[in-house]
Amino acid sequence: MLDRFNSNSSKPNAVRILAIVFFATALLFALIGTVMGDSFYIRLATEALIFGGLALSVDLLLGHVGLLPLGQALFFGLGAYVSAVVLKEWAASFWLAIIVSMLFCAFAGLIGGLIAIRSKGVYFALISFGLAQVFSRVIYNTRELGASDGMTGVPVVTVVPGLQTDNPLGFFFVTWLVIGGLYLVLRYVMQTPMGRLFGAIRVNEHRVCFLGFGALRFKITAFVAAAVVAGLSGALYPMLRGFVSPELMFFQVSGNAVVNVIIGGSGTLIGALYGAGLLTVLKSILGSFTVHHHIVIGLLFVVVVIAFPRGIVGYLVPVLEARLSKKKTGDNS
Amino acid sequence: MTSILEWLQFVLAPQSINGLSIGVAVVLMALGLTIIFGLLDVINMAHGECYALGAYAVVVILGMGVSFWWAFLLTPLLMAAMGYAMERGLIQQVFHSKDRHTLTLLLTFGMATVMEDAIKIVFGANPRSVEAPISGATELFGLFFPNYRLFVMLLGGAIIVAVWLLVFRTSIGAIVRAAAHDKDMSASLGIPVSRVYSLTFAFGVALAGIAGVLLAPIYSVFPTMGRDFVLMAFSVVIIGGMGSIKGAVLAGLVLTQIQSLSSLLISPVWNDTLLFGIMVVVLMWRPQGLFGKLGHA
Amino acid sequence: MIQTPLQDTVLSVKGLSVSFGALKAVHDLTFDAQRGQVTAIIGPNGAGKSTAFNLISGAITPKFGQVKFEGQIVTGFSPDKMLAVGLSRSFQITNLFFDLSVHENLRLAGQYLERGRGWWSPVQKSQTALARADELLSQFGLISKANDLAGHLSHGEQRRLEIAVALASKPSMILLDEPTQGMSHADTQETAELIRRLASEFGLSVLLVEHDVDLVMRVSDHVVVMAQGMKIADGSPQEVRANPDVQTAYFGDKH
Repeated sequence: MLDRFNSNSSKPNAVRILAIVFFATALLFALIGTVMGDSFYIRLATEALIFGGLALSVDLLLGHVGLLPLGQALFFGLGAYVSAVVLKEWAASFWLAIIVSMLFCAFAGLIGGLIAIRSKGVYFALISFGLAQVFSRVIYNTRELGASDGMTGVPVVTVVPGLQTDNPLGFFFVTWLVIGGLYLVLRYVMQTPMGRLFGAIRVNEHRVCFLGFGALRFKITAFVAAAVVAGLSGALYPMLRGFVSPELMFFQVSGNAVVNVIIGGSGTLIGALYGAGLLTVLKSILGSFTVHHHIVIGLLFVVVVIAFPRGIVGYLVPVLEARLSKKKTGDNS
Repeated sequence: MTSILEWLQFVLAPQSINGLSIGVAVVLMALGLTIIFGLLDVINMAHGECYALGAYAVVVILGMGVSFWWAFLLTPLLMAAMGYAMERGLIQQVFHSKDRHTLTLLLTFGMATVMEDAIKIVFGANPRSVEAPISGATELFGLFFPNYRLFVMLLGGAIIVAVWLLVFRTSIGAIVRAAAHDKDMSASLGIPVSRVYSLTFAFGVALAGIAGVLLAPIYSVFPTMGRDFVLMAFSVVIIGGMGSIKGAVLAGLVLTQIQSLSSLLISPVWNDTLLFGIMVVVLMWRPQGLFGKLGHA
Repeated sequence: MIQTPLQDTVLSVKGLSVSFGALKAVHDLTFDAQRGQVTAIIGPNGAGKSTAFNLISGAITPKFGQVKFEGQIVTGFSPDKMLAVGLSRSFQITNLFFDLSVHENLRLAGQYLERGRGWWSPVQKSQTALARADELLSQFGLISKANDLAGHLSHGEQRRLEIAVALASKPSMILLDEPTQGMSHADTQETAELIRRLASEFGLSVLLVEHDVDLVMRVSDHVVVMAQGMKIADGSPQEVRANPDVQTAYFGDKH
């Protein structure tokens, strides 16, 4: 929905500024929480970042390749479950849990991709939705994985010597680094030939084959990458909350991720993070007034789709751009 | 020999007939979906919630002390009015944009979320049960079948036939099919295409509402019932072919038979998985479905 | 037809046939295209030119017949396989990346030159693709429009970009599908020059399908005329123009 490929304009600078603002604000938020001595808000911010990672995976598919995934929570939940199982049954090692989750989700993404990727539009959305439904139901009925109650008792682990996962600020920082790293990696990938082809597929998939590149291969790669991003984010969840449950794969989670991306601004990557952050804040504020915050967010989503389809970041970037160019020409005169 | 006959009579037949009563409602929902898609090229992700609203309408009507029979009449009208407003007010806003396929998907998805939340707010999250308007059972072939189920099959079947007649044998149907085939040509022939769109959407939504009314006494009524049911409806439409009425009817009846008969062999937990698996296989082998044409969605 | 001594067939079409139901859209089409020459397929409406083009470019699989490129059978090849052997095509209905800038359209297409290498480094470093894009921008007179979205170009400029994108991968032969479709007179002249230069200056082999007979007569070395799915004439522009069958096909039995 945006043309981000103009290397001559000041657009990359505008996006860079917004990204810096986001990560700085997040850090500030956590620091304030520490000063106030309340770990609830730090944990909330950590959770927002974790779900931001899921939103990034949705944006990779929706905003860049042009596929609407309604079941991305599948990989998020898979990452969470694998992480929990590794920590509980195998070894209480942060790095092992992360790596095994990523590998598992890469493999699952490959299988899921081979099934889903020949489809487009609503067919893809439904297959994605259906995959999540089916697997969440499987896990829901698997006693070894805790069935409907999920698994509790995920142990505290050491990330690096001196930093354990039960340290709210410390784990926030770890998550901040992981999600920040994911963001930077994805940003970089979008500037590579492969990333540009993702965007080309979204704009005109038909022509891509005539440029000599089989679109299918790239779509599967994107699907696997998105699965890994979602899985990595999910792997952090049991470390934060100490448990996993089948609800992590439910449609609510997938749907929320899509809402985050659209409201934040699809196709911008940082928009997904803004969406997750802002909506977490909004839910928290609304939640203190009413139990029914979901419908407010649903209405907001509908309004955004109709009136502001480019999302918050989508509208901020041109404004910032204009401001920046004015400054440039102002400095020259 | 007798034991096979007995199995057929006492095990298979009841399952099959149960499946038929569900199947009729599934077909109605699928018809609504496929007609909306066939004409407007819009995927109504909120279709499940329209079905749920139909069921809740029964709850409301019964709660007001009015007889169930009024629900059959009022619900479709209410749903049609709501559908008309939704199409006019919301869908038309994004209909002419370049990204309309993604935007209408997202929009109807958003509408579904809002509707589901609204249901939760108004009615609470607990399931409601609705009493069937017809009680008792009739004996057929040595078995007792609930009268309400038989009624559902008859009424549902009648509505399906009526829809088919409406689409293929009336001038209204001809207008709708013409507009689906060639919008600009129809407009230049004086057909109010925009109004036809809104009415068609309303009609599709009304069909989902009727399905909700029919099934309300059979399943309990709860806020997420739409979402659980919509995967089935979409599977039917996809397998039958997007936009194909014949496909929706055939696939709907066959798939519900598969669903009810398979529960004899496998645990009902795997029902969804089986249907989903069938949908995926069909999509991979023949993406346009049984009777659909490529070039949609 | 007298074969010129320096014959070098780059594309060989033999017995190509396909039917749509009862309609024989293309029947037993056979001709050769020479390297470095502009070969054109013309014919009145309904002659089957577009179908022939799609058969040759692999979009439709023929019922009978084969297409050979550089001696290799390429019948029904997928687009990426076609590009791999050096055959590229443009589209009658402009098929660009409208939401991307002109420069990016060309850079994407030029990325093919680097296939396999540089997947992991940023595009700013893929010199080959960038250089090719700049080259094409200047060759096609689109430098001033480099940063505009392709969708914002005028029709004539889009048609030029369409050809440029097809050329980006440095194919040895290019198939042009009605390149001057909908163009103004001035644009058509420019495109005609361009097509001529593709062959004479850049040594490309060109196969084009066109409605504009005058244009074809001016730029082509070799003309194939179709009518009702069959070839009715095959030769130089002068030979074809003088051919009575061609005149009948276009103008009826008026002479």
